[in-house]
Amino acid sequence: MQQTQQTQHAPTPLLQAMGLTGEGKASAVPFTLDDYRRQGGYDALRRALRELSPTQVIEEIRTSGLRGRGGAGYPTGDKLALVASGRSTMRYLICNAYDADARSLISATLLEQNPHLALEGLALASYAAGVSEAFLYVRSARTEAAASAQKAVADALEANLIGRNIMGTAFSLAVTVVGVDRSFMGGEESTLIEIIKGRPMKAQQRPPYPAMQGLYDQPTAVQNVETLANLPAIISHGAGAFRQSGSRATTGTKLLTVIGPGGAQLIEIPFGASVRQALQQAGIDANENNARGVVVGGMEGGVLPLSALDTPFDFDPLAQADAMVGSGMIEVLPVDACMVRWAMERSDYLSEETCGKCVPCRVGVKRIAGTLQGLVSSLGQPDDLKLLEEFSHYVPDGSLCGYGVHAIHPVVSAMRYFGDDFAAHLAGKCPTGTCQPVRAHRFNTKHVL
Amino acid sequence: MAITVRPTASGVAPTPGSDSSQRNEYGQPTFTVTIDGRTMQAYEGQTLLSVAEENGILDIPNLCNDDKLEPTSACRMCLVEIEGFDRPAPSCNTAATPGMVVRTKSDRLTHIRRTNLEMILSDHNAYCQPPCQIGCPTHIDIPGYLELIAQGQNREAARLVKEVLPFPYILGLTCPAPCQEVCRRGLVEEEIAICRMHGFAAEQCIEDPPTPWPQEAPTGKKVAIVGAGPAGLTAAYYLALKGHYCKVFDMMPQPGGMLRYGIPEYRLPKNMMDRELESVWKLGVDAQYNVKLGVDFTIDDLFNEGFDAVFLAIGCWTSNELGLPGEDNPGVVNAITYLMDKTQGLPVPVDDTREVVVLGGGFTTFDCTRTSLRLGAKVHTVYRRGRQEMTATFEEVEDGQSEGTDLQLFASASSLKINDKGELTGIEFQRMKLGEPDSSGRRRPVPIEGSEYVIECDTVIPAYGQKCDRSVLPDEYWTKRTTIETDPYNFMTKRKGVFAAGDAVLGAATIIQGIGQAKLAARAIDAYLRGEDMAAVSKRIEAEEAKPDLFDIVPYKPVEPKVKMPMLPYEERKRNFRLIELGYTPEQAKREAGRCLQCACPAAGQCDLQKHSIEYGLTDNRFHDGEPTDYHDYEFDMSHSFILRDPNKCINCTQCVRVCHDVIGPNCYGMFGKGFDTIVSTPFNVSLHATDCVSCGACVQVCPTGSLMMAERELVRWDFALDRCIFCGDCVEVCPHGALGETPNFELSFYNRFGEDINMPMQDVARAPSFLVRQRVPRKQGDAMEEPNPLVRPLPARRIRE
Repeated sequence: MQQTQQTQHAPTPLLQAMGLTGEGKASAVPFTLDDYRRQGGYDALRRALRELSPTQVIEEIRTSGLRGRGGAGYPTGDKLALVASGRSTMRYLICNAYDADARSLISATLLEQNPHLALEGLALASYAAGVSEAFLYVRSARTEAAASAQKAVADALEANLIGRNIMGTAFSLAVTVVGVDRSFMGGEESTLIEIIKGRPMKAQQRPPYPAMQGLYDQPTAVQNVETLANLPAIISHGAGAFRQSGSRATTGTKLLTVIGPGGAQLIEIPFGASVRQALQQAGIDANENNARGVVVGGMEGGVLPLSALDTPFDFDPLAQADAMVGSGMIEVLPVDACMVRWAMERSDYLSEETCGKCVPCRVGVKRIAGTLQGLVSSLGQPDDLKLLEEFSHYVPDGSLCGYGVHAIHPVVSAMRYFGDDFAAHLAGKCPTGTCQPVRAHRFNTKHVL
Repeated sequence: MAITVRPTASGVAPTPGSDSSQRNEYGQPTFTVTIDGRTMQAYEGQTLLSVAEENGILDIPNLCNDDKLEPTSACRMCLVEIEGFDRPAPSCNTAATPGMVVRTKSDRLTHIRRTNLEMILSDHNAYCQPPCQIGCPTHIDIPGYLELIAQGQNREAARLVKEVLPFPYILGLTCPAPCQEVCRRGLVEEEIAICRMHGFAAEQCIEDPPTPWPQEAPTGKKVAIVGAGPAGLTAAYYLALKGHYCKVFDMMPQPGGMLRYGIPEYRLPKNMMDRELESVWKLGVDAQYNVKLGVDFTIDDLFNEGFDAVFLAIGCWTSNELGLPGEDNPGVVNAITYLMDKTQGLPVPVDDTREVVVLGGGFTTFDCTRTSLRLGAKVHTVYRRGRQEMTATFEEVEDGQSEGTDLQLFASASSLKINDKGELTGIEFQRMKLGEPDSSGRRRPVPIEGSEYVIECDTVIPAYGQKCDRSVLPDEYWTKRTTIETDPYNFMTKRKGVFAAGDAVLGAATIIQGIGQAKLAARAIDAYLRGEDMAAVSKRIEAEEAKPDLFDIVPYKPVEPKVKMPMLPYEERKRNFRLIELGYTPEQAKREAGRCLQCACPAAGQCDLQKHSIEYGLTDNRFHDGEPTDYHDYEFDMSHSFILRDPNKCINCTQCVRVCHDVIGPNCYGMFGKGFDTIVSTPFNVSLHATDCVSCGACVQVCPTGSLMMAERELVRWDFALDRCIFCGDCVEVCPHGALGETPNFELSFYNRFGEDINMPMQDVARAPSFLVRQRVPRKQGDAMEEPNPLVRPLPARRIRE
């Protein structure tokens, strides 16, 4: 209970900056440029442009320990330094506010509530990395967020907070809002570069990383909007203040979309807080009467059993638990959820959403899904589990991008924590009695040569 | 401002020591990397694949890389392990960096590569080569003739078959059809009646059969052929077509050999057989009957008569013996003599008062069984192994049983029961079981002690197979197995100019095997008569007969039931020898032939996917038999005049996309869709005609599989209007086909996508007797070509097999 108290009193700087804490949460009005500046907005940018060199800004970000919020957790300072050191006169920054998982609230809420927070962070990162052209990459289907981003860019341009010779300094930055609605893979960093270039939505091999060779083969910083939204506070209040919250490995806080029985809500927790604490913050008490498992990481995330809810929400502990930070989502699965079926549905979805470029991801994920369909339909054989185990190494090892690396989380975590469900389906019975057959023919081995 | 010039830009070499790194002859910084434990030089920006290949590591597989293209690393075949990387990285797209340590081989990499191939093949709705064509000893182009029959072109189908098999009607009735055993349609539901189909095609034109190609002018060479059976007549047919004079000698009064004297009338009507054999005599082949080798003439006699070569196709006419005491009892009937007498209408020792036991499990066994049944006798057919081990087809056995024989398996005759009067009264049998596999892996039957029993009978026909008559030739011709000894590929015996094939070489085998040999022997004889080196001929034939490695990929096709051959009802088969197969109607034949999956790929043998799959030993695929949604069944795009697209064979390597966009320019292809349904196609999946395609063929060139193929086309040279040409060379410059060259042999090629607007103003040139331009008529029947430009002589629309 003490933990709960702590959680409730833990700082929620991003929610605060969006006006989403305390009373009147529901009626929170989006911030205009004036609102934002009244609260000290763009002071950090002014300070950076007037008082700090780009190297000093990068140093400050490095000291803060900020890691990318997009899922990979790469240290932001290092990435900006890498872009800044690129042998090129042209560098780009892309702010990824796409929300690949369409159920995620994070980017859209940020853009709707306080677009200038993101814009200021974007300008700070651009200044630090020597970027002169930046893209704000939003999901056009989120019309309010996209419109808000457009308006913010127009307002900021008029106020000379972006554009030519910002605040009378030598720093210029052109910002373009790119509205795209291209399904899940549209949010993948190399894919979105291809989309901006007008090429097919296909992931690209890394290395070379975009930081070295990205958009139009120039050094490109691809940063999640939430990462950038942390920058103004780091520059204003210093790295030390930022390091106050979070875990030893990952400083700061994380916005999360929690999907429970009551729908989706946005919360903020410090890194290192447990999954249980996150649920409690959302007012969900997950126990065996109302939940079977908790999915952490979004569509590619893994399912944790209730016994593993004390897993800290942080990059490494989640990876070890076969879940991930991913798109920052926590979902509660109902008590009658069959985990074989859940893994099958996720794999089905993922086999439709892969960009289809590389073989292990395009066909491998489909074959995982097909094998799970066989299991769900009580056509399974013990060899199927061996095959799934084999593919849980083959697909990540062979795939081109992170999508394939993480696409196995549903099946791997379900097999790891809910092996009994698989055993029950192998014996021809659904553990929760909810599964209907989805296919009539299972895969068979045939001699081909 | 002072102008500075970099030392390297001034043409002066950088002073040694000014740059700490090494540079190669092109000025690129170089460094060393370690690949598979070997230290190698690499330059900045060089991919690991290129470093490895330059240093002799050539076995990194890849399916999506081409030197002239940007790497895409889609196929994940060239993955290598790099120290410090947590996952394998594609060598085609990873630049070497100083000190990199790389491994190109490991169990994990092999597993990934192999599984990649398995994944690709699990959704590769296509086939390397038709197994039926490989399975057939004569290698008939089966998909070819089935397609022709499906189109109603029966005569052309018969012609195609006759290229390798001169008697499609006869074989259609008598062949055990090894092709059908391997038919891939069997993976969908039931195999196609491949064999009956060529019989049907030949029957349609039996009065006026086509020849596979025009008969060549007489060469003046003479070939003597001993034996007028299927092998002998096949050789005669092909040799006569080659222009050689052939004369057939046979010991029997009529031609056909075992076809006539061994196969009962109900399986092959002799009048129809004679009509088909007519095609041999029409080619000018002479025949002499009632003369037997070794009795009436010898091989030396033939050479003395002026023959340049001798072909021995004497067959196997001696029944294997029973090997039991009392074998010379009149109740023991020689199987071959029995069938021979019956087909000639001579009296036979079987009638409706008799109880007959036929011993054996081959075709002859069932010919004797069913002949005896038709004569009204009570028949037992006894075989010492199981039904699986029988060489007769299942249909044959089934028909025999349905017609009334008493089939007994796993019983071996141990003695003949003969009464005091010397009459056969029965046979004692001993039950058998299959023993342990012997050294050859075959399970021999072993007797079960104390299981003896007797079948009462008055006639026994041992039909254990046949062998050759050793007395007709001197000993040096024979092997230990009493077959004629020949080279296995050119079929020449130890005596120069004497060839042999068929049963005499094979031991009693099937008709189609004999014909397959005779066809090759005819080629060898032709080569011999032309004075070629026979060792080289042997090698050549061996290479051609080599069995290719095939991939048996499950066809994802809708089920289409087999059209059953209408058969004579069992009750109408009693006491007569009417043909039991009633034959297909033309509609039925069309329908049945249309079931062919056409599983032939023109890229087989040049396909990278096939090559790597063989290399990685991909013998099984774990993802067969799933739901239709697990696989793709795309439509072909055959609308383009030069480039055929089969997306079913596409592996999404995007080489065509990149070569068209980056190298050629028109950008006709793209990778469309997402997820499992991603496929390389044209925008909106339109015909290639409707894109900016310039027919350069670069996409076909880079395609690692048979997904993009050049259409076959016949190049025709057209006259060139010299009076108008100013030899500017512009046409040579711009032709995307490279069809024009700066030689005296100009060829003008014009290709227009929509078949319109061919601008050649001078009408008088158009009326000149020769044409300036050639063009293919678009496949799409539109209004575009209603009034063809007079400058253009349209070539006929191209069909697949033109």
